[in-house]
Amino acid sequence: MNIKDYIASGILEEYVMGVTSEQETQEVKCMSHIYPEIKAELLKLEDALGQYARLYERKPSTTLKDKIFAQMEFKGHEESKESVEEESTASVVKVVPLWSKISIAAAILLGIYAGSLYYDNQQTKADMNALSARMTEMDKQNAVNQDFLAMYKNADMKIVKLSGKEISPESSVDVFWNQKSQEVALNVLNLPKPESGKQYQLWTIVDGVPVDMGMIDKDFQGKILKMKATAGKVIAFAITLEKEGGSPSPTLEKMYVMGLV
Amino acid sequence: MATNLVKYTEESLVISLKENDKKAFEHLYDNYSSALYGVIYKILNNEEKAEDVMQEVFLKIWRKINEFDPSRGRLFTWMINIARNSSIDLLRKEKNVFKEDIEDSVGKVDRLFSESKEISHIGIKDLIENLKPERKDLVDLVYFQGYTQEEAAEKLSIPLGTAKSRIRVALQELKNYFEL
Repeated sequence: MNIKDYIASGILEEYVMGVTSEQETQEVKCMSHIYPEIKAELLKLEDALGQYARLYERKPSTTLKDKIFAQMEFKGHEESKESVEEESTASVVKVVPLWSKISIAAAILLGIYAGSLYYDNQQTKADMNALSARMTEMDKQNAVNQDFLAMYKNADMKIVKLSGKEISPESSVDVFWNQKSQEVALNVLNLPKPESGKQYQLWTIVDGVPVDMGMIDKDFQGKILKMKATAGKVIAFAITLEKEGGSPSPTLEKMYVMGLV
Repeated sequence: MATNLVKYTEESLVISLKENDKKAFEHLYDNYSSALYGVIYKILNNEEKAEDVMQEVFLKIWRKINEFDPSRGRLFTWMINIARNSSIDLLRKEKNVFKEDIEDSVGKVDRLFSESKEISHIGIKDLIENLKPERKDLVDLVYFQGYTQEEAAEKLSIPLGTAKSRIRVALQELKNYFEL
């Protein structure tokens, strides 16, 4: 996309007037971060509209200021709210009665005995193999899910939701961004299968400049994808479709998802 | 206007506001309340309601100042959008804005201009001459009345494309005017 065309398209005027859709609003915000020319134009338009609004300046009544400030609390004036006593937490000891331990043990023994009788059968052994194969698979998937869950629950982890752009509104990717280590991983919720010879590439926008964050594994479904760690003040993440192995700078027309941090 | 001795750049003002510093909020009020109140009044056209909304808006600015990100635009733009949104919300709640006749809006604007002597020094006449009424009406409908472009086009009985291009031209004119 040509920046001049973007500026001339009228979307910036619509943005400052507050009539862009949510998606367009996100787009303008991101574009203005990436391109200083767009940001400069946007600021000029905002200033112009602000100046226009200022033409209607009008003094509120003199009593209003006190009325408003009486409802505000400021630094150094807050009342101490720390004094609330912490509730004493009695330590809870889990008591498991003996009879229940014995009955569980008995049930397990009975189960093993019944099982050994049953599985003597050859046929059943074959079933067991198939079952155990499936179990291993499910364990694996379960482990991945557990990993995902741990990522979502991790307090150090900032989750940045990347939502689909025009070319692929259904696309959606979650970025796990560790605020301590700056490590980044992805959970691809929905991205179209790339055509052959193409591969998705992750970018961050740092100081208005796109920075390569690594290529996304072609087999990206249902696993945690470790990417490069961020550096600098990141303002957005985006994914574009590039030639296999990646490009030095993003192809904007092929931006599939984007999200501000 | 301001009685504060502290001098602020926009940057240092924002930092002090985020620290919940009383002096900074007083400075903010002294310097921006007329602009914010002007917008609110322009939208609601009623002193009492405008003062209620002004209170709500200033308290909202105070409560939400930490959500303001200076890298994404100016403080003034952010505040004026809060003022606009709160006022337009009330307007929407209170009446069906689409029943208001456009002539009324235009009349109101003219009245405001003639009433307000404070603004004459800014060269408002030049601006009005620069901004054609047909464009100004559109800007005011959308910016001060919260119309979508589609609603504004329908109201003025012009095609949507015309409305869009008029708004674009009007803003470019405003931009060029204020850039000088």
